[in-house]
Amino acid sequence: MSEASTSGTSGSIRRSSRTRKKKKSQLPIGIAAGIVIIILGILLALKDPKLGLFWFTGMAFGFILQKSRFCFTASMRDPSLTGSTTVTRAVLVAFALTSLGFWAIKYGASQQGLPIPGQSYVVPVSFATVIGAFIFGIGMVIAGGCASGTLMRVGEGFTMQIISLLFFIIGSLWGAHDFGWWKLNVISNGKAVFMPDVFGWAGALVVQLLIIACLFVAAHKWENRKKEKNA
Amino acid sequence: MALKDNEFYKMWFKDAWPYITGAVLLSAFQVFTLASTGSPWGVSGVLANWGAWLYEAVGGTVDKWYYFASVGAQRTLEGGFLSDTGSMRNVGIILGALFATLMASQFKIKKIKSWRQIAAAVLGGLAMGYGARIGFGCNIGALFSGISSFSVSGWVYAIFLFAGAYVGSKLLVKFFM
Amino acid sequence: MAEYELDCLGEACPIPLVKAEKKLAELEIGDLLIVLIDHSCAMKNVPEWARKEGHNVEIEEVDDGEWECVIEKVK
Repeated sequence: MSEASTSGTSGSIRRSSRTRKKKKSQLPIGIAAGIVIIILGILLALKDPKLGLFWFTGMAFGFILQKSRFCFTASMRDPSLTGSTTVTRAVLVAFALTSLGFWAIKYGASQQGLPIPGQSYVVPVSFATVIGAFIFGIGMVIAGGCASGTLMRVGEGFTMQIISLLFFIIGSLWGAHDFGWWKLNVISNGKAVFMPDVFGWAGALVVQLLIIACLFVAAHKWENRKKEKNA
Repeated sequence: MALKDNEFYKMWFKDAWPYITGAVLLSAFQVFTLASTGSPWGVSGVLANWGAWLYEAVGGTVDKWYYFASVGAQRTLEGGFLSDTGSMRNVGIILGALFATLMASQFKIKKIKSWRQIAAAVLGGLAMGYGARIGFGCNIGALFSGISSFSVSGWVYAIFLFAGAYVGSKLLVKFFM
Repeated sequence: MAEYELDCLGEACPIPLVKAEKKLAELEIGDLLIVLIDHSCAMKNVPEWARKEGHNVEIEEVDDGEWECVIEKVK
C-alpha cells in the first residue's frame, strides 16, 4: 500500500503510476474467428438451411448478451443483494417488447385460423415449477450465471464456467432421468394457462403490460429506497 | 486512422452497450426466432440432449426414460449433435460471445482460483440442470420465452426464481466468498 | 490517503461488487480502492455502483480483458 496523491476537488483521480504491460490487439484474431464462424454457418446452411438459421441467431444472441452484459441472473439477484435494479428494469423492457411481438404473431395466426406457434412454451403450473425455479435460482447465483450466461462466459474464457456447464449438463440428465416421476406425481396435477384464453386477446396484452409496468415502477422505487437508506 | 480509434468500431465492438440496447436487440431476435422457427428461444432443453449423448458415449442408454420417450426426442438423439438445431444455436451463443470478446480485444483465459470456485460451479451447475428440467426450462425458455408467450407458468417461475436467487445470494456470501 | 488493492481477478459476478462494497466500507474518506477485475460484467457494474454511491470512479483497461477500477471514497 503506497501513498498516493489525490485531487479531492476535481472528479479525476491521480495515483501512483505503475508499469504497464504492452497490450496486444486481438482484433486480427477476432476478424479471423468471425470469418471462420461465418464459413461454418454457411456450411451448416448448405447441409440444412434450418441449421444455418439457428447457428446465426445463436451467434447474434451470444454477441448481444456479451456486448450489453445482459444478465438474467443479475436481474433476479441484484435487487436483494445490492439494491440495484438497472438490469431488472432492462429485462422488464425486454419482456414487454417481446410480448408485443409474440402477441402479434400469435394473434395473427389465430385470426387466420392457423395453429398458434410456440404454444409448447405454455407449460403446466405445478409444484414442480415452484421447486424447479427455486433451485435454479439458487444454482445460478452460486455458479455466477444461468444457462445463457454460462455459455456466454465460456466464450469469454472462464474456466470455472466450463465446469458449471459440464455439471449443468449432468444435472439436466439427472433431471431428465427423474422427469417421469415428476410428470406422473406432480406436473400432471398442474394446468397450463395461456393468458388470452382467460382474458381474451386484447385483455391478455393489457394485463401483461400492466404487470410489467407495475414491476418496473416497483423496481425503480426499490432502488431509490435502498439509496435513501444508505445515505 | 487506425481501426481501433474509429468511432463506429468503438461504439459497436469496443465499448459495452447500455443494458437497454441489449433488451431491444434480444427482443428483436426473440420475435425473429418465433417467426422463423415456430418456437421461441430456449437454451437448457438442448443441454439435456448433450447429457444423453455423453451418457450414451460412456455406454449408458436413455431409451427407457420417459423424458426422451417421444418420437421427436428420439429423432433428435438419433440425428446427433451436428443435426440438432438447438445444439447449433447453443454453440453459436458461445462463439458469438467469443467473437464479441475478441473484437473488443478483451479475451482472457480466466483460470480457476480456488476449490471454493469449483465447488460453486459443481453445485450451482447441478442445481440449475435439475431445476431446469423439472421447471420446464431456464431463464430463457421458462422465464423470458414463457412470460413473453403469455404463459402463467412464466410468472410463477419468476416469483420462485427470485426467491431462489435471494437464498442463493445468502449462501454465496456465506460459503462461497 | 492510503491506497488499497482488491484482487478480484478470476471472480465472477457478484463477488467483485460484494467484496468492493465490504472493503470500501472499512476505508477512510479520501482513501483509494483499486479493484482488479477481469470479468466483463463486473467491469460495468462495479463502476456503475460506485458512481451511484457518489464516489469518484475511474476505470482503466490495463491489459487484454483486465481492468483496474479506481474508487476514491468521498463520503
